[in-house]
Amino acid sequence: MNIPISDIVITGSAVISAAGIGTAAIQELVRTGGNALTPMPAEVLGRKGLAWGKTTTFKVSDFMPPLKARKMDRCSQFAVAAAGMALKEAGIDLKATAPERVGIALGSGFCGLANSAEFLSGYFTGGVEGLMPMLFPNTVPNAPASNASIEHGFTGPNVTVVQRFCSAESAFLLACRHIEEGRADVMLTGGADELIPILVRGFAALGQVRGTSAPFGEGCGMIVLESADHARRRGAVIRAAVDHLRTIGMLIPGHEQEGLELLCGPERNCSLVSLSGNAADMPGVMAAVGGIPTMDVGRAIGRSLAMGGTALATLIASLPAGARGLHMATSPEGPCFSIDILGGSPV
Amino acid sequence: MSARRVVITGLGVFCGAAKSAAEFGEVLSSGRSGIGSLDLFDVSPFPARIGSQVKRYDPLDHFSRRESRRLSRSDQFGVIAAGEALRDSGVLGLYSPYDMGVSIGGGAAGMFQGEAWLKAALEGREERPSLLRGILPDQTTTDIARIYRLGGYQGTITTACSSSATAIGWGADLIACGRQKVVVAGGVDTLSLLTFAGFNSLKVVDPEPCAPFSLGRQGISLGEGAAFMVLEDEADALARGARIYGAVLGYALAGEAHHMTAPEPTGAMAARVMRRALELAAVDPLLVGWVNAHGTGTPLNDVVESNAMKLVFGQRAPQVPLVSTKSVTGHCLGAAGAIEAVATVISLNKGLIPQTLNFRGFDPECDLEYCHAGSKISDCRIAMSNSFAFGGNITSLVLSL
Repeated sequence: MNIPISDIVITGSAVISAAGIGTAAIQELVRTGGNALTPMPAEVLGRKGLAWGKTTTFKVSDFMPPLKARKMDRCSQFAVAAAGMALKEAGIDLKATAPERVGIALGSGFCGLANSAEFLSGYFTGGVEGLMPMLFPNTVPNAPASNASIEHGFTGPNVTVVQRFCSAESAFLLACRHIEEGRADVMLTGGADELIPILVRGFAALGQVRGTSAPFGEGCGMIVLESADHARRRGAVIRAAVDHLRTIGMLIPGHEQEGLELLCGPERNCSLVSLSGNAADMPGVMAAVGGIPTMDVGRAIGRSLAMGGTALATLIASLPAGARGLHMATSPEGPCFSIDILGGSPV
Repeated sequence: MSARRVVITGLGVFCGAAKSAAEFGEVLSSGRSGIGSLDLFDVSPFPARIGSQVKRYDPLDHFSRRESRRLSRSDQFGVIAAGEALRDSGVLGLYSPYDMGVSIGGGAAGMFQGEAWLKAALEGREERPSLLRGILPDQTTTDIARIYRLGGYQGTITTACSSSATAIGWGADLIACGRQKVVVAGGVDTLSLLTFAGFNSLKVVDPEPCAPFSLGRQGISLGEGAAFMVLEDEADALARGARIYGAVLGYALAGEAHHMTAPEPTGAMAARVMRRALELAAVDPLLVGWVNAHGTGTPLNDVVESNAMKLVFGQRAPQVPLVSTKSVTGHCLGAAGAIEAVATVISLNKGLIPQTLNFRGFDPECDLEYCHAGSKISDCRIAMSNSFAFGGNITSLVLSL
């Protein structure tokens, strides 16, 4: 159902991706139409000629001491680092902010799977003696969000969502709701994913690696949502505002047109459309945004399930004040999201 | 939550202790436990070898051969329990499919099948790729939506052991804010080597059936299952003459920001979430009749939860039963919150407070009322259900008749 999102603004964002660290890097890559994909090592799938979007420029030591980093899976490292960057851009000093008024709703794709695979490998190769207890806590998909809260010290609502290519968008909706209901003043939201060889082998087994057409990526896109009142009170720079958010689960046979109308809404006057998941392959969605310039960051940095966070952060950074942007995200079996963003301060 | 009152019009359960909501009610009344031997995979290498497994399960009793191959064990349990709840509510076909959403809490999902693929891959063998299909918990969400033609919101919460409690709160939220008219909300998790080996490696599994809040407890007994509720706006439910089991009055959640596996020891953070849930539900703590505990049976968790009770209820804490139905169902991880919320609603409807089984003796650090001596008759109308998780994720639900 279409419900307007009222009085929620965006005051910060951060991206860690194959394009580099920060939103400027991915913006520039998308602007120039380039990509940051690199050759996938032949040993991953036993063949050459494939590409993936590894975040090779991410150095965890730039963000935390090595001893701390060792306790975290790579995805948690992304989330902790991106959360810090986004909070800094938003100008939020957690020492001067009530920690219970700051929360996180993060989308994750295969987070936890890297540790799960490593943990189980120990058992399959060495039996009970091969089990490494230290790996087990990070097998849960909420490890990145929880590690971000532990490291930065915020204790508000904390939730992780896995929902295919719309994992980050689903988290975004949750984050908006927590602010609307007054459960938090500030919500970090977005998506985080880690790319590992066993995951790519799984995709290959499922027939999802075809030539070089489906590069996989990793990284984290983090956005700071804030109640407009809270942002104004602290004199924050407001970078954008959330307008509408629509979602449907799946197009029900016999009710496709109704579903598309609910998702796409009335014709809108926007200047830029961000596409995520398989939105570019959905004729109904593309017809609804026909003629408006689009950007698809997945082509530039590789796709991941929770890359909607990166796509949204890139859209927000790309919108001039007063311009309207639309983020469209769909997954092959559902769900689908459309999010309207207004550039600049709504005031 | 916002103005709309969110009511529960359907219940479904499929777990090691019971294969329907009606059977679950009988189990809770009688104090039977589903914890026993396991044969889903080889547990002989581990010090603790018991759990609450769904026994005598044949997928062909519920699915076609083709569908049973397509769905993981976890997907199957989810589809079965969600289907029971939807049929119980009588809601299918009454609304536009886009007004009906799915909110699930999940955990290891199809890891049981995924493990077979991984083992083969490590040994250089080829296994059926379809074993990987259900490896993410959102597969169950998609399958429930597909099978029951629910075209509205789809979301899968993955906050470990608080997942499905949050999914129920969030499902209620989607109705309260007017985004959906109906949400089937709950959770599912199945036993897998990953979690069984994992908790054993952490040495938090009791070799005997778990004994929450009891002297000499050594930890959890793992379990598996699914539980769902159908949630609706009260006005819509009344208009169609639906049976109303109760209401989701409110919920709260937080991250403790303390430690990935250890709870904040004083219980202050857990107490804060419980208080906040009551505030958001507009419920005076005096009206809470009992609390369905997270109550895993680990030495630390049970003390922390007892401490939190004292902080929330003060001098009244010893009069507010803190009951762990995990002694009946085992700890069903991602599904635990939903199974316990459904247990709470069923018990409220039966006018009873269930018991915490397996008393081994009085622990001076757990000095509240845990109903170790048996279930109790009660006319209370409001109860809470707590869920705590790895990462310091905490959710408290406030439920009423």
